[in-house]
Amino acid sequence: MSVDILRTTEGIEQHKPLMNEGIGVAAEQTESTKVARNSGPRKSPSAPNFHEKTYAGHSMSEPTLLRNCNGDNLLNLGDNLSFNDRDANLSVINLYDDEVISRQMDDFEDNNDEDSQQNVDSDEGNTPTMSMLQNNCNGSETEHLDRYGFKKQNNFITVEEYNKWWKDYSQYCIRRKHKWKLLLAKSGLPMDNDSPNRFPSRSEKLKRYVRKGIPAEWRGNAWWYFARGQEKLTKNKGLYDKLLQKMDDLLKKKKKKKPMQDLDIIERDLNRTFPDNIHFQRETFQLDEPPMIKSLRRVLVAFSLYNPKIGYCQSMNFLAGLLLLFMDEEKAFWMLVIITSRYLPGVHNVNLEGVNVDQGVLMLCVKEYLPEIWPFIAPLHKRSPINLGNSKYNFGKNEFLYRLPPITLCTASWFMSCFVGVLPIETTLRVWDCLFYEESHFLFKASLAILKLSEQTLLKNRPQRVLRHYSLSNGNYHSKDLRINQDESEMEVFQVIQSFPKHLINPNDIFDKVIFKKRVALNRLDQDEIDRCRKYVTTQRQRYKNYNEIVGSNLHHDDDEINDSNAQKNDLLSNGPQDYGSINNENNEEQISGAASDMKVNSNNRIGNDLVNNALSSEVYGFKKSLSGVHWNNSIKEKVRQMRKKRGKDDDVLL
Amino acid sequence: MSSNRAGKSLTKYKIVFLGEQGVGKTSLITRFMYDTFDDHYQATIGIDFLSKTMYLDDKTIRLQLWDTAGQERFRSLIPSYIRDSRVAIVVYDITKKKSFEFIDKWIEDVKNERGEENVILSIVGNKSDLSDERQVSTEEGEIKAKLLGAKVFMETSTKAGYNVKNLFKKIAKSLPEFQDGQQSIIDSNTSNDNQKDVNKPGVIDISTNDEQTEGGCQC
Repeated sequence: MSVDILRTTEGIEQHKPLMNEGIGVAAEQTESTKVARNSGPRKSPSAPNFHEKTYAGHSMSEPTLLRNCNGDNLLNLGDNLSFNDRDANLSVINLYDDEVISRQMDDFEDNNDEDSQQNVDSDEGNTPTMSMLQNNCNGSETEHLDRYGFKKQNNFITVEEYNKWWKDYSQYCIRRKHKWKLLLAKSGLPMDNDSPNRFPSRSEKLKRYVRKGIPAEWRGNAWWYFARGQEKLTKNKGLYDKLLQKMDDLLKKKKKKKPMQDLDIIERDLNRTFPDNIHFQRETFQLDEPPMIKSLRRVLVAFSLYNPKIGYCQSMNFLAGLLLLFMDEEKAFWMLVIITSRYLPGVHNVNLEGVNVDQGVLMLCVKEYLPEIWPFIAPLHKRSPINLGNSKYNFGKNEFLYRLPPITLCTASWFMSCFVGVLPIETTLRVWDCLFYEESHFLFKASLAILKLSEQTLLKNRPQRVLRHYSLSNGNYHSKDLRINQDESEMEVFQVIQSFPKHLINPNDIFDKVIFKKRVALNRLDQDEIDRCRKYVTTQRQRYKNYNEIVGSNLHHDDDEINDSNAQKNDLLSNGPQDYGSINNENNEEQISGAASDMKVNSNNRIGNDLVNNALSSEVYGFKKSLSGVHWNNSIKEKVRQMRKKRGKDDDVLL
Repeated sequence: MSSNRAGKSLTKYKIVFLGEQGVGKTSLITRFMYDTFDDHYQATIGIDFLSKTMYLDDKTIRLQLWDTAGQERFRSLIPSYIRDSRVAIVVYDITKKKSFEFIDKWIEDVKNERGEENVILSIVGNKSDLSDERQVSTEEGEIKAKLLGAKVFMETSTKAGYNVKNLFKKIAKSLPEFQDGQQSIIDSNTSNDNQKDVNKPGVIDISTNDEQTEGGCQC
């Protein structure tokens, strides 16, 4: 597209849109309630403002919400500046800090729209700060909060780091917003008082814009738009209100009968959702709980009534909580429905099998796209083979799909909460932008990017230990040493991967260093691949469980999945595959047919072994390769080699 | 689990924290690690890992603490690493009867994974500061602990900082590192502080190594 023209225009008009924006916001603000006003000049782009405004469109629980927001809201800390145009203008400017500087960066950034690496600080720049947009009431009271009301400081990031980072990032945000406005204008879409609700049609350019971040104030609308929330809502008009009605009924009954289990569990998590966010906190002087908590309760309970198969699963509180910062209750509810069904099918189900599937998929992807990371994650040596009746069978290369590596205990939460609480908030939001535009494969991409970025840290931490153990054992590994060593490195890898993302305060680290790099292999990953991969892992795990049922009594019961496999199986059989709805289950079979037939020919006659082979080893997932298609799938090659080796033949001869 | 004791190589012990959501597992760990307390901790999703070096009786050991999500459906994710834990701390909330009843399930999980002899089971009744709301008496706790074969039982208050260090001290003392042939030091299922200097004169209180609270890889 005519990037050049765009750029020129931008250069000229840079400032003006921002002013317009300010006015726009002002108008919007006037209507909305006075939440978050304490902040005086700064306003939060986050929820309460938008929140009420959007919610005003809805009927039922609106009054409550508005009342709550208007009334003794915690945010009314001091000077309630009336919200007039001037204030709002001011607020917007402050919201993004100095816009002057930002202009200078513009051309620079433009040139790098494709492969930008620049405007972002490198690793050291890890100074997260969201200070800007926050509700800042003359400093002291809320200075420690970011623009969404979260504390800037946490165990991983200091206020100083935050502020330092935010100084630059806020400029970046201004520049990006400016570009968005130009894009919208060019597409003939209305800005609607700085709250556009239609966006350009899908294109590479739009994707790039989304990846570079949707303006914070627009996020609610944009997510809703890209995730096609309105479709869902229109189809189910009035349903949310009905659910709320049902909830009210239940709560009344509660006093008489024993409460629904989900209600109780939800209740316990309400105050454990973003305790570090001012909108979710109850201040000591408050008699009533914050409106946010009430909204959160309604959304979660409504959801548990809407989808009993999931009910309530911890981590959904974070999903709903974050949504509520950007949109009204009803929309947040439907977005939660969309996330849990479309993007993370089965992940929050009672048996959490979707978690295991996605972790299996992630492991496959790591192996494929990050072979340099894989050794950190995969067990250093094979665990003891599973004892199958008379014969011993080693799971082989696919073992990690059934016995997920320990690290998946950590990465599971990345998916369950879509990185909320895992990545710093601004980084999380950038991932969410892409999630709604690019669908679930972006969660995998982001995970891979994080793992990729952690490589240096992993390397820094691991060799030491290995070396030390090596020398301690006089240069010879004993199996026991090796085992200990493995345990230790597993712990260390776990620790690194657990804490690493929490330092990623600068979202552009992920994007510029990995996602925007075309040559990075993991960027080949697309939705189709993930869909196929999920299907494959689902099938494999299911077969494993089926097999387990048949031969299970002979299996050595030290396996991760065995204990609950029966319970899970029923659910999986009835729900699992369907959850994956529209998946193209194409050519797994074709791709692996060579390996499979090889295997069949050579397998021995024992029924047991046949079964095992069939269930566990005969199919290897084949990733799509680049167009050239010249690369023989390594995993198949290895698979075949391994199988042959097992038969006692020399793999060199065969391959 | 114990590794090479030569040189400075620390013996490491895995400790897993289990129990219903909201009973105070994260809080217990935070109190132990940093001696701080917040009214609300973010709900733990999946598993959190922390490690801590501990000094006791002239010995240094390294504890690897695994904090878990409490909701029942997360139980299915846990077995794989419970298997290797040397110590299981099952926590309930003394103001919530249901959380107390739930500990049977967790204990069962642990025993299934590791076998009764190989794991040091500990049962902890948290929130003892909320005595007005108490639904589970200390005696009930003690009885259940005996019944389930827990080696350690204690009531704690992470809010008040009560008994937390003692808990870890008591657990540490039941580790082989501190046994030196004496098998059953810790069989008294008490809820109070009377396990101080059990058996060994000159016991050094558990002290924290500030430099290493972040975990193995950073040191």
